Amino acid sequence: MRRRFRLEPYVEFAKRAIAREATYRFNVFTGLGSLVVRVYLLRTVWTALYAHNAAPRELPLHAIVTYSTVALLMGLVLDIDQTRALYDRLHDGSIATDFMKPINVPLYFFADGTGEVLFHGALLVPALGFALLLVHVDVPSLGVLAAFAVSFLLGYFVGFFLNFILNCSAFWTLEISAVQMIVTWLTDLLGGQLVPLVFFPAALAGVVYALPFAAMFSTPLLIYVGVIGPERYFDVMASQLAWIVVLGTVSTLLWRAGARRVVVQGG
Amino acid sequence: MFGLYRQYWRINVLTTLEYRANFILWSLFTVVYHGSAIAALYIVLHEFPSMNGWTFRDMAFLYALWMLAHALQNTLFSNVDDVPERIREGDFDRVLIRPVDPLFSVIATPGQIFPDELILAASFFALATVYSGVRVDAAFVLLVPLVVAGGALIDLGINLGIATLAFWFVRVDALRWVVLQLEQEFTRYPIVIYSRGVRFLLTFVIPFAFMNYFPAAYFLDKHDGTFLLPPQVGLLSPLIGTALVLAAYAFWRFGLRRYQGVGH
Repeated sequence: MRRRFRLEPYVEFAKRAIAREATYRFNVFTGLGSLVVRVYLLRTVWTALYAHNAAPRELPLHAIVTYSTVALLMGLVLDIDQTRALYDRLHDGSIATDFMKPINVPLYFFADGTGEVLFHGALLVPALGFALLLVHVDVPSLGVLAAFAVSFLLGYFVGFFLNFILNCSAFWTLEISAVQMIVTWLTDLLGGQLVPLVFFPAALAGVVYALPFAAMFSTPLLIYVGVIGPERYFDVMASQLAWIVVLGTVSTLLWRAGARRVVVQGG
Repeated sequence: MFGLYRQYWRINVLTTLEYRANFILWSLFTVVYHGSAIAALYIVLHEFPSMNGWTFRDMAFLYALWMLAHALQNTLFSNVDDVPERIREGDFDRVLIRPVDPLFSVIATPGQIFPDELILAASFFALATVYSGVRVDAAFVLLVPLVVAGGALIDLGINLGIATLAFWFVRVDALRWVVLQLEQEFTRYPIVIYSRGVRFLLTFVIPFAFMNYFPAAYFLDKHDGTFLLPPQVGLLSPLIGTALVLAAYAFWRFGLRRYQGVGH
């Protein structure tokens, strides 16, 4: 039996996620405070490095400061674990009742995560305001900005599926907090959020470009600062899309296997 | 009290052995946490060989010194960080009715504590010492444990000071969080690169610079001339650490006398 699909419940889930996030005012405050401190730190560090060394041709000081600031702002959205709710509900067992509800459960988690992301996305505005007090951020042409936005969205989905896969592993083992922290730290380094991947030594660069993390941070950022020119847009976005397909497929398979497990166990 | 402390470590080790998979994963995270910081330094200084005269070899030693002091503090005193939450939950009142000193009771609350970070830090410190080419002589062997202990005390003094504020303010997490960030990210670089205000803050207000920057500058023979201080000030770490912990302890006692619970 197939029910007719209705969107309204999922919009409601997303709204409730926004309301929930807004109650954690403390997290909002520390998130913004930490961002300001980090912007100061990165400006100081890069300024010191550029003052005492030969500047690399493709990334002058203003470009690297722009890169790092935009990277931190992107982190406000990309570092969110949107499907945390899946882990929580597996942990306390309430996932069993979710399966009985007349909803599409993965879509419920997607709606919940989207609400959370929208709330934190809105924080980009004050965050950018504070950042601009400390640094100058280059603004590229409209075409480049549009390409950046598309690539950022693709990167968001790469991150979404990575998180979904991690949270899905909670169907089999409940000890995933440490693994999630490990992946977050690796994403920040290997995704190029901390240091642009173009600075990585050649041997290491070969490895990091072959990992999905580069599709999250590095690709949109390099488009923003112009290191990736329009002639390469198609190639890099195709590779982001390929990661979405691969990780999305793995997510689907894991979800099916996990859901079956819940049904079998909770029967 | 010594017997109690031994029991505390016995329970810690047994708990760790009980949750082995979890322990291994968290240890792996510790490796990734420090590893990614060191890797980022390596990559940046591979492209830009000098930061105000400090090379990657110098900065590996700078990081190692902080890591060792911080890991020592974490291993022995990490329970102090839980005080604000325990006050909020009302669980703190339990330590007040025990026939031992409340601070000792807090420090010796069993959990899943294991010296894995300390072992990692000591190994990396040994590596970084050789790699940085710092002169290892009798004075170095004698001074390093003192400086590391001093660094751990500075770390403890600041943590205890912030935890004590929880007697008056229920939520001190935001402050603790910003201070932790100052410590973990700002101690990574030689403080000469910062603006005057930030340097002043890290030297005289919350003296994290004495955990690693000043001692490292002494051992590596760097003459940055920060605030016109001679490199020998780096050896003051044990004194500064002791003074800070004594002051924090006095503040703690003061707070404890006024503490009335949060009303559970």
